[in-house]
Amino acid sequence: MADSDDIIHQPLRLKIMAALSAEKGQPLDFPRLKAITQATDGNLGSHLTTLEKAGYVAIEKDFVGKRPRTQARLTAEGRKAFRAHVDYLRAVVEAADEEGG
Amino acid sequence: MAITRTEAAAALSDIESTQRRGMTLRGYRVGGPILMMWSLIWATGYLTMGLAPPELWLPVWLGLDVVGVAGALLLARAGKPKAAGAPPGMTWRLLGGSLALMIFALSVFWVMKPADPAAAMAFPGLLIGVIYAVVGFWAAPRYALIGGLMFGLTLVGYFLFQPWLPFWMAAASGALFLSGVWLWRR
Repeated sequence: MADSDDIIHQPLRLKIMAALSAEKGQPLDFPRLKAITQATDGNLGSHLTTLEKAGYVAIEKDFVGKRPRTQARLTAEGRKAFRAHVDYLRAVVEAADEEGG
Repeated sequence: MAITRTEAAAALSDIESTQRRGMTLRGYRVGGPILMMWSLIWATGYLTMGLAPPELWLPVWLGLDVVGVAGALLLARAGKPKAAGAPPGMTWRLLGGSLALMIFALSVFWVMKPADPAAAMAFPGLLIGVIYAVVGFWAAPRYALIGGLMFGLTLVGYFLFQPWLPFWMAAASGALFLSGVWLWRR
């Protein structure tokens, strides 16, 4: 069985990865990501930075008219890592269920 | 770091609920403009009922319904993220659902033959209200509130403002428009 990914497993980072993974490569803007993950501004920003440093998330900043917009999307590496982590979680549950009979 | 079964199950459940919430919010963004468009169709239809002779009501409503279904399809396609994709066959589901609804409404009129024009005017409001409420209870909670609001406004109009019911219903479509804005802004 593979190991847990400690970067992804933190609760809010797991939600960010889950939300971005459902977008199938399309970016999500900051307010929508905040609504989906139910995070605060500060929390979301700091965990996005952690995921960006790990190479799992790409942050894009641009302007819509005069308003700045921040968008995040999953990188190929992030998608692979998230899939592996979900497989690991499922394997833990299945292994425990088999042991329990 | 080793993870226990309980932690793994909780994490999987978190992933599922986050993705479901994302899907619901995406649905609101797509559904909002559709509701706004239908509010204009309702206003037009009910104003026709208030101002035009009864023989025009059915053809006008049928025409408006066709415009509404086509507009809903276009807006649903435009609002769909390029790669995220909607479930396959969404166009046929929307068309089939709309057709079933129209056949149901027409059949009710043919079977029940309401003699009171006010009853015929109130029926679509009650029908749409209950459909939104059911969708809300099953999938997207905001629709339950919108359905309840439309249902309630229709009953208030029917019992308290019957002589002006078509105009009341046309005005009530403003609430539908605002509901669409409320969904879309999420």
